[in-house]
Amino acid sequence: MAFMSDEDVKDLLSQHHNGQLERHLALLARMSQEFATSLDIEDTLNNAIVQMMDYLDAEAASIFLLDNNDTELVCRACAGPIKLIGLRLEADQGIVGRTVQDNQSQMVRDVSEDPNFTAQVDKQTGFTTRSILCAPLTVKDHKIGAIELINKKTDDGLFAVNDQYILTALASSAALSIHSAAQAAALVEQERIQRELELAREIQGNLLPEPRGGNFPVHGYNLPMLEVSGDFFDFFELADGRICFNLADVSGKGMNAALLMAKTSSLFHCLGKTITEPGRLMAMVNNEVYENSTRGMFVTMVGGIFDPLDNSVCLANAGHHPPLIQHQNAEFEEIQGESPPLGIMPDVSFPESHIKLGQDTLYLYTDGVTEAHQNGEMIGEQGLQEIITAHRSKPVVERINAIFAILQDEDRLLHDDVTMMVIENLAAPLLSQRFHANASALRQMREAVQNSLINTGCQDEQANSITLAISEAAANIIQHAYADRSDGMIDLELHMDNNELMIILRDYAAPVDISTISPRSLDDVRPGGLGTHFMRQLMDSLVYTVPEDGIGNRLEMRIMIQ
Amino acid sequence: MTTPPDSAVKFEIKDEQGFLVIHFVGEIDLHGSPHAREVILDCINQDRNTLINLSDITYIDSSGIASLVEGYQLAKNKQLEFGLIDVSKPALSVLKLAHLDKVFPIHNSLSERLQSP
Repeated sequence: MAFMSDEDVKDLLSQHHNGQLERHLALLARMSQEFATSLDIEDTLNNAIVQMMDYLDAEAASIFLLDNNDTELVCRACAGPIKLIGLRLEADQGIVGRTVQDNQSQMVRDVSEDPNFTAQVDKQTGFTTRSILCAPLTVKDHKIGAIELINKKTDDGLFAVNDQYILTALASSAALSIHSAAQAAALVEQERIQRELELAREIQGNLLPEPRGGNFPVHGYNLPMLEVSGDFFDFFELADGRICFNLADVSGKGMNAALLMAKTSSLFHCLGKTITEPGRLMAMVNNEVYENSTRGMFVTMVGGIFDPLDNSVCLANAGHHPPLIQHQNAEFEEIQGESPPLGIMPDVSFPESHIKLGQDTLYLYTDGVTEAHQNGEMIGEQGLQEIITAHRSKPVVERINAIFAILQDEDRLLHDDVTMMVIENLAAPLLSQRFHANASALRQMREAVQNSLINTGCQDEQANSITLAISEAAANIIQHAYADRSDGMIDLELHMDNNELMIILRDYAAPVDISTISPRSLDDVRPGGLGTHFMRQLMDSLVYTVPEDGIGNRLEMRIMIQ
Repeated sequence: MTTPPDSAVKFEIKDEQGFLVIHFVGEIDLHGSPHAREVILDCINQDRNTLINLSDITYIDSSGIASLVEGYQLAKNKQLEFGLIDVSKPALSVLKLAHLDKVFPIHNSLSERLQSP
């Protein structure tokens, strides 16, 4: 009985004469105010249930709220001789269950006659229930639970219709208050989780290395889709100047993934400082992650070491997308790997790939990049290669920004965390090495030159010519500048600028009069003096200068690579 | 006469129907050319017609070429024959660079030289 009929109202108003109505209204007003200003809903409910029990002269009273996805009713407050707090019933069990399910107040004068009455509680407690008055707690059509009063203390032990009205009115007020409190608690919880996620994101952000600017050979960028990310990357310099790096993707998203990310990243960062073989390093990280990882979670990773001295990369791949190399001629090459992701099985070996990067660029990325959408279709590997090629002439930082601007374009919905690492070292020389100014060191010099020319796209014949010219120049330094002194040094640098190779040979001998090393006429067949002729013949240009520090001699030769 | 242990060039001398044939193997650069020169001049100084087999030369520089030029000139003074046989591609390109490919007598093989008058 949720609403009063005209008769009922008349009946209620008649009580005005003996002051009962004023007392009803006063209780309603007081309790509504208590509910409205309540900070602790449990306290308020316990307080309210005592007042209701006393006011309506009941022997016992309790408040049941729906719980466990509305499948159960649990007693959250009670008054009287029996403590029922925590008692759980099926959501439709007993008279309280019927009240909730039918959303109608129930007045049962003799429970023994009611088929829904469960005597089980009485049996357990020794209490005897005779009559029950029960009102639903609802906000609009949203069921919350019910208030139940047991055994009127009057002689007949029966609740009156008036009692029903008053309990119904109090129940409405209580329901609103419980609902608000629950919402407020949910909001507080939500805010707490939000704050924790923000904190987690900040901590995660701190695990990523700071950008080092355009001249540093390793660059990374991470765009988390959720507050926390399952992707990560890292790079750090080793004591010998090499750079250890990784890029990885943790299975799943959210907090679980973020925690595994933090663990794996820390393991790699810590072990990577002493174990400088990427394959062995990843085998160790794999065993650690496997040992106590949550079932079914794993990490795909590419980890490696970049050596800026010879622009070489050594890397290992644990089930990750193959890294991509863009060669000087704009063609792409994928570096395939066969090993499984980290954390799936122990004692896996991770074979290493050794790459002479030269002036090429290495791209590592997570699948969020290729799974980004364009016109409703995934960008895919082909699309990524097109995007990279379209921006390949840009300096590296600008290029990464351009790529991410495309991935974040409003039409392209990001489905996953997006992370990319770019490794290139265009500023570094192809070769920078010091040699003994000794005829026996020439062979080693020629080998170094040949090796550094491999990735320039230079044809064998031209590589041989360049090697000959450099060897002749070095021979001149040994014979003429150092005059066969055995303790001299020659610094050799090879730089690539677009398609032009610049060769610099520097010695620390006394300045040489250039005219003494001028080429001679070839018509005169005699030994000696051929070397300078070879150099002039083979190179596009040849310039001798005094080095900036005024010591020794500097020869700069240039040639276009075909 | 031996080559130094760290030299990149090795050689073998054979007496072939009136010719001393020196077969060089490896690289003749500033480090190896003094020994190559010594070997060549020694053969010619025995008043023997001398052929240099360059089929296994992977690298030769101006000092190596100079050793050949010296041998050529000494043989000429002694009115002996001096020639190159089976010149490898890298060696030939350096000879061309020195404009010596038309100066030295070059034969495709020893048998080609032996069959000609």
